[in-house]
Amino acid sequence: MERQNIRLHVNGREHDIEVAPRKLLSDALREDCHLTGTHVGCEHGVCGACTVLVDGRPARSCLAFAVQMEGHEIRTVESVAEADRLSPLQQALHEEHGLQCGFCTPGIVMTFEAFLRDHPDPSDEQIREALSGNLCRCTGYHNIVAAIRKAARRLREGEGHVGR
Amino acid sequence: MSGADFRYIGQPLPRKEDRRFLIGAGCYIDDIEVPGVLHACFVRSPHAHARIVAIDAEAARAMPGVAAVFTGRDVARWTARHRMAPPIEGLHPVEMDSLPVERVRFHGDPVACVVAADRYLAEDAAEQVLVDYEVLPAVTDLRRALDPEAPRVDETLGSNLVSHQQAGFGDVEARMREAFRVVEARFSQHRQTHVPIETRGCIAVWDAGREHLTFHVGSQVPHPYRGMLAARLRLAESQITVISPDVGGGFGQKITLYREELAVAAIARELKRPVRWREDRIENLSASAQAREQTCRTRAAVAADGRLLALELEITEDFGAYCFYPANYMARVVAMILTGPYRVQDYRYDVKAVLTNKVGAAPMRAPMSITSWVMEGTMDAIARELQLDPMAVRRLNMLETGDLPYRMATGEVLRDITPRETFEAALAAVDYEAFRARQLAARAQGRLLGLGICNVVESTTYGSAFYKSAGIPGSGHEAAWVRIEPSGAVSASVGLGATGQGYETALSQAVAEGLGVLPSAVRILLGHTDIAPYGMGSRGARGGTAGGGVLYLCACDARAKVLAIAAQVLGLAGGGELRMVDGRIERREGDVWSDAGLALADVARLAYLDPLVLPAGMPPGLDFSRTFDPPPMTYSNATHACEVELDPATGALRLLRYVVAEDCGTVLSPVVVQGQQHGAVAMGLSGALFEQVVYDENGQNLTGLLSDYLVATAAELPDFEIIPMHTPSRHTPAGIKGMAEGGVMGAIGAVTNAVNDALAPARVVAERQPLTPVYLRGLLRSGRPGAGKENPT
Repeated sequence: MERQNIRLHVNGREHDIEVAPRKLLSDALREDCHLTGTHVGCEHGVCGACTVLVDGRPARSCLAFAVQMEGHEIRTVESVAEADRLSPLQQALHEEHGLQCGFCTPGIVMTFEAFLRDHPDPSDEQIREALSGNLCRCTGYHNIVAAIRKAARRLREGEGHVGR
Repeated sequence: MSGADFRYIGQPLPRKEDRRFLIGAGCYIDDIEVPGVLHACFVRSPHAHARIVAIDAEAARAMPGVAAVFTGRDVARWTARHRMAPPIEGLHPVEMDSLPVERVRFHGDPVACVVAADRYLAEDAAEQVLVDYEVLPAVTDLRRALDPEAPRVDETLGSNLVSHQQAGFGDVEARMREAFRVVEARFSQHRQTHVPIETRGCIAVWDAGREHLTFHVGSQVPHPYRGMLAARLRLAESQITVISPDVGGGFGQKITLYREELAVAAIARELKRPVRWREDRIENLSASAQAREQTCRTRAAVAADGRLLALELEITEDFGAYCFYPANYMARVVAMILTGPYRVQDYRYDVKAVLTNKVGAAPMRAPMSITSWVMEGTMDAIARELQLDPMAVRRLNMLETGDLPYRMATGEVLRDITPRETFEAALAAVDYEAFRARQLAARAQGRLLGLGICNVVESTTYGSAFYKSAGIPGSGHEAAWVRIEPSGAVSASVGLGATGQGYETALSQAVAEGLGVLPSAVRILLGHTDIAPYGMGSRGARGGTAGGGVLYLCACDARAKVLAIAAQVLGLAGGGELRMVDGRIERREGDVWSDAGLALADVARLAYLDPLVLPAGMPPGLDFSRTFDPPPMTYSNATHACEVELDPATGALRLLRYVVAEDCGTVLSPVVVQGQQHGAVAMGLSGALFEQVVYDENGQNLTGLLSDYLVATAAELPDFEIIPMHTPSRHTPAGIKGMAEGGVMGAIGAVTNAVNDALAPARVVAERQPLTPVYLRGLLRSGRPGAGKENPT
């Protein structure tokens, strides 16, 4: 299959890559941009592990082709921490034990980096509804919900990234 | 030893693993880059049962990027077949091809492997491999499989009954005759699968010069896995290094050596090229491993007051098409521990495992998951039949502290458990009497509330003696090393295989406690067979007791030597008046401990670099190793309480409250333990309510996508209320009991008992799962008219 040269804007950097038109965004991010933080769990849009932000909105990177993404701003989990400092959401997930095997975690981080921007004071029901697009097999979600609640509070109080 | 005596064990420290996962820097199989690697894709059977007539791979081989296509005949030349023939009475020996050669036995059975330059090309070529099948009749139903006329799944066997064991204790017949009533109850658990969010995958790198295989695979049991791989490839164990990196969940699916993994290793050796494989989700749901399909019947002989006189269990498991484990492996444990927290000495069981044309069975988080539902459901059945309060029936029969140690009818010994304490704590938390009042009031308004209680005695850590007595091959030992470098840096390793539990956190606390350093100063190394010692890996709930236990013991050895050196340096006769805290040596004068002016780093430097100052005869260095075989069996216990509301019109179920009182002894990390409790309950609820592998009558798997195989999301699961209790074991290092599977056992039973409590006005009983709205609404309509629309009193 004929490959194409495309330019992806990922995490504020330009990646000039050569991909087949059918190559999934998730595979291009992982294999061509070498950003392996985005995980592939089902390749049919259910599990949410591959969630990235496209122009600020959460999207399943397994349901998009890389060639469709020219001209769009993509953000992956690698862009969330600032140098050595975790985002309030990442820090809260750490403090509340909101992750175990970590495979679904990048998708959850990306989903809620966007969600918390749009929902500064979410109810538990809103959090659980939004989280229902990300499957986690380890945690039972209880601590993820607690972490998101905590992150929302800290963001409302104006707290930023935290160092170790 | 009580928790208060520990300095580092039991501290709620956040996990060491989290940071790399949170920033996207974890390293799972697919994140490992290997230059020149080929990608494998398997051609799979579309039929549940068929003869392979011919395979035409010419077109596939000619496609761009395709390196090779291999069939079962090729892999058979390079590997030894699998033989499952442990000396277990009633278990028929079986063999398995490395890849099927003559016949396929389930929808998804692999028949050929394409290797190509990338995964897209490999999948393209796999579609062009033409397999000519002669379709054979399939059997997909447990009961039909036992029909003498049923198609035989394994032609070498006389029937599909691959395993059958019976045992009796006491005089069950006599008790049944004497009984006021014999209460019968039935329980059917449906087929489920593990669904780790990271599917299976592996990378094989064959070094032709050194004749050495490096095999990257997410494994719960790196050393036993290496042994299986070496035997099948006819290599020495020393010719294989198994590396298990970060693993995106296992739950029992990542224990055995799968045929795909063996084929990938064999092909890499044959082609002298690295080969990698990652299954897609469809393969994971339809061709990896499945679990739990068991049907049970109990008959309980009872006195008029509800006292249990005798119990009988029949359990039959659908083991699928292939035996990756001895077929009695899961169901036999259910039979051995069924009676759990209850007094009964007259007991018998009958355990059958049956082959069908479905995916082979494997243990799944709580392979004995049905146990507590069956026992507690039986208690509820007794209460229903005798019109007694179900909690009173439980109290009457439940073991008390004075009964311990208690030898169960099967010979299993329960010690240091607290079933009555967790039971009363859970009932108090939900305010049982108040609930009953609310339930009555709700019924008067046509609403169906239910409360389910499930007591759990969880078999956590299987020692070698248990395996022997259960007729299961294997050791229960674990191994560890602790190494202190000349700088004082501490590393430690154990044979467990991490799949996300948080071992690097919890195990560092065990080492810290034994040695006397901060947990943050301990580096835990896992999942590499050239680094870790030979241990039995992670299965059951043995990580804490066996893994944490052996690390603790090994670290105690290390501390003894460190203190002996310190005593010599300080001019003391022995180490008894010294201790190490946070890596500093302290000395006791009277009742006062004070810093002795020595750090671990000082002692370590002397131990390695100035050995002449060591006590006479002491060898240099600080390098320790230790093995440990736990007691025959270690038990934790818990009580789960689940409150539900059932919509009489739609059958929809709402989980209103979920409480667990759990006593798992000394906990290394309360953070990790709480996470395990949540996760196990979630898996139990998800399985009981939503998940189901569905095959049609022809053996077609209808649940190959996550949109068909439904796993509970955050929107369906409740918050969990945990009441932690910590009665240490007096028979394990540091009093650790182990946990992580009991949550599944309790959830399955608690939610089903709650549903049956809600259904009570209709006088119907849910005897099978999943508890779908369609099933529950059907039950309500078959029951007493008007249930839920009137006050039953």
